[in-house]
Amino acid sequence: MKKSLIAASIMASLALTSLTAQAETSYLWQDTLDQAKGQTVYFNAWGGADNINDYIQWAADRIKEEYDVTLKQVKLTDTSDAVNRVLAEKAAGKDSNGSIDLIWLNGENFRAMKDNNLLFGPFSQSLPNYVTYVDENSRQSLTQDFGTPVDGMESPWGMAQVIFMYDTATLSSPPKSMAELLNFAKAHPGRITYPEPPQFLGSTFLKQALYELTAYRQALSQPADSVNFDTVTAPLWAYLDKLHKVAWRDGQTFPSSAEEMMRLLDDQEIDVALSFDISAASVQIDQGNLPDTVRSYVFTNGTIGNTHFLAIPYNSSATAGAQVVANFLLSPEAQIKKQTPTIWGDLSVLSYAKLSPAEQAQFNAIPRGIATLSIEELGQTLPEPHSSWVGALETEWRKRYAQ
Amino acid sequence: MPLKHAKWITGIITLLLIFPIVIGLVGTLLPAFAYFPPLGEHTISLAPWRQLFDQGEFYASLKLTLITGIGAPILSLWLALSLLAWGYQRPFFRKIEALLSPILAIPHAAIAIGLLFLLSPSGWLVRLFSPWLTGFDRPPNWITVQDPYGVSLILALVIKEMPYLLYVMLATMKSIKARESLQVGQALGYSRFTLWRKVLIPQLYPIIRLPIFIVIAFSLTVVDLALVIGPNTPSTLAVTLLRWFNDPDLSMRLMASAGAISLMLVIVLVLASWEVAHLLFRQLTRAERSNGKRFGLTDNILRLGVVLGLFTLLNAFVALALLPIWSLARRWRFPDALPSQWTWDNIDRAMPLLMELSRNTLIVAIVATLIACGISLVMLETKRHATTTATALNRPHVFDWLIYVPILLPQIGFLFGLHILLIYLNLNGDLCAIIALHLMYVLPYVYLTLKGPYLAYQEEYLQQANRLNHRPWRNYVLVKIAMLKPALFTAFAIGFSVSIAQYLPTLIAGEGRYSTLTTEAVAQAASGDRKQVGSMALLQAVFPILVFWLALAIPPRWTKWRLALKTLFSKNSKRNQKCSV
Repeated sequence: MKKSLIAASIMASLALTSLTAQAETSYLWQDTLDQAKGQTVYFNAWGGADNINDYIQWAADRIKEEYDVTLKQVKLTDTSDAVNRVLAEKAAGKDSNGSIDLIWLNGENFRAMKDNNLLFGPFSQSLPNYVTYVDENSRQSLTQDFGTPVDGMESPWGMAQVIFMYDTATLSSPPKSMAELLNFAKAHPGRITYPEPPQFLGSTFLKQALYELTAYRQALSQPADSVNFDTVTAPLWAYLDKLHKVAWRDGQTFPSSAEEMMRLLDDQEIDVALSFDISAASVQIDQGNLPDTVRSYVFTNGTIGNTHFLAIPYNSSATAGAQVVANFLLSPEAQIKKQTPTIWGDLSVLSYAKLSPAEQAQFNAIPRGIATLSIEELGQTLPEPHSSWVGALETEWRKRYAQ
Repeated sequence: MPLKHAKWITGIITLLLIFPIVIGLVGTLLPAFAYFPPLGEHTISLAPWRQLFDQGEFYASLKLTLITGIGAPILSLWLALSLLAWGYQRPFFRKIEALLSPILAIPHAAIAIGLLFLLSPSGWLVRLFSPWLTGFDRPPNWITVQDPYGVSLILALVIKEMPYLLYVMLATMKSIKARESLQVGQALGYSRFTLWRKVLIPQLYPIIRLPIFIVIAFSLTVVDLALVIGPNTPSTLAVTLLRWFNDPDLSMRLMASAGAISLMLVIVLVLASWEVAHLLFRQLTRAERSNGKRFGLTDNILRLGVVLGLFTLLNAFVALALLPIWSLARRWRFPDALPSQWTWDNIDRAMPLLMELSRNTLIVAIVATLIACGISLVMLETKRHATTTATALNRPHVFDWLIYVPILLPQIGFLFGLHILLIYLNLNGDLCAIIALHLMYVLPYVYLTLKGPYLAYQEEYLQQANRLNHRPWRNYVLVKIAMLKPALFTAFAIGFSVSIAQYLPTLIAGEGRYSTLTTEAVAQAASGDRKQVGSMALLQAVFPILVFWLALAIPPRWTKWRLALKTLFSKNSKRNQKCSV
């Protein structure tokens, strides 16, 4: 009896401490919510896709009505423009009232901002929805952004994986590995290409090829200058030398983006397009930009995937509002909407196990477009190499093929 | 202009112009020598230059830039002169002049995308002849656009520049009394082309020298056109620099700044060589020009130019006509010559945005161009005054070369330095900042377009008016400005369209908080979606085309309308008087 009493009191006091801790977080969060009221958050996000812009507009409307925070999207053509702007502000000594409150980024841009102390934080690990729904152990890319530790300086927003697209009306069995891709190109000259590095999808294609071709996969998780770059990458260049000879426009020019590749696929100039957006094919079919015979697929041995994030510049004048936005975008409501293929189709970063049964049911009920692969069909995700590989591969590529 | 303190006013304007230029230059020069405190670079060194000269891509890009940047102006000038010589005395040429304005007005990115769609292997030309003639069920693997030698880029540049040169030439024709010279020459038995070649072009050239220089600088530094239709392995130097400036590795900025300085030096060298080449050419052809022959074999060069010029114009019109079709297309696949499904959705979707974008675009363009017109008139009046007084014999005011600096400098390197200034002034992201930056780019074009006609103006008209009735300001406006109406309207139209087409200045000064039709269109162009671009280009073209059309339509009808209004007004007032009686 006594024992159980003691046990009970220990339990009670434990419960109390955790309650106080929770109360403290929610108290702090309430503080943030109060501060955020009436703030305007300038959200610098790549603005090249209508469906994504529409989604952000939807989120802005919801956030306005729920938190009285005004979200304004500043549409970028290149995320590094925003990085440069923060840098310019730092150069001018403008350490408060910066023009950017929230940036959509990952990889190189994140590393550049983090290394140059251009970020506010850490903040992400104390966002209520992060605490409740994100499982950091479910994916390496949640804590290692292209090999750079996240350290709470950016909040996850979505996940992407490389997918390939082909037209079933012209092609019965698409090439499902880099080796098959080359053979296909040899049999059908001029029908294969990839975006031009340093466009990020082009660089990703290089990483995918390197991953499949090199004999030293372990080296890819190390910084590129700590390994023998030439030895590791030799098979990649040998492969590209062969591929370019039989590539689209003889490897003299390359498309500029995933969108241009889809246009070329629609024009039947090329046979295989790639994208970092798993629902790209369904969305483009829906908008009349691709024929409804186009389907997505992935390589047999997996394709590269990563996580994209939201970060707050160090000189933002609306850090509270920006955190409210980041938190809202992590909510099951926003993530379910985002994963809906006709809306955007971007993969959720929430842990399925941490969701309530009702929320799980909502996730299960998300319709898939006719050309979107299911999570199982997406198969294995290959990790991004260390972020230093992007620059190293781009430089070498331009040295070899852009002079 | 009866200005009291002309010297002071021009001095202040000049200072206001020098300040941002100096800041912009310093902001580019210091990083080029590795001084860039925000990155922790405090020591001056030549490291960025060494890094730059180690880049193979620098030399490859430079070569391409020289090919396209010199080839395009030469072609543009040749074709524009040929067309002018061929058509100037023909009655229908007035209409061609009106047709030129859409090409001048439509932002170059949209034209480039139209061309891409016309000329690419899956483009409209191939579609027209497929599969019934070519046998192509699928587009051929040809390299017709983005070719490694930049031929398609040169074509796009010529389409943009030839109409500009033609437009400027037409505005100056009256001041060199072309019609009279032609009448006299033809009465003496000279053929039309020979007359132009021997008499008019040598007179015309000095007046349009600076527009030509601007065209050269534009060709050497253009970014958006080169991004769309230029080759990318390697790209032109300006595009390569833009990529370096935007590289996530921020230390690349130092090398990019050094590259920007090199690009400026390249512009100076090319302009200098151009002048030397012109002098040589003039010396070499002097004997031929004065040999008295009424015809010459070299006339054929102008004849060929006419054919090529018309072909280029045709290309441009077809490319432009394709854009609206795209904005109404739902499905349009190879080899269909027309869309298989049509829709209003593309335009519907763009509608709500259009209102906000149009408002921003119009405010910026109108305010910037009006200020530019005002400044140009003040500066030109001082200049005219200075040339007529003996104390300052033809000494060009510092302003004369200063205003070219912004457009001769590569936008990307220069504007970054300026952006820091805007932040210091707390003007970043402000509408005034956008207008100010636009003014820097609009002013030179307005000034240049006005300069020739304004200085060639026969001051006697104004003097006579003042002798008859000494009301200097009234006479200045009612006599001189009224007589210069065509040139003023042309200058306004050109300034307006220059402002509408600005991308980087709007983006950098507005920080994306103010979008214009152009920043939005370029953001859309990056996605490669021709339907969106078609819709945006359509909307974006409306305003400049309207202004250009008005610039042509108003001056000849001005007096008629004014008198009509006056009669209407006096009738009304008479009627009112009657009523009151």
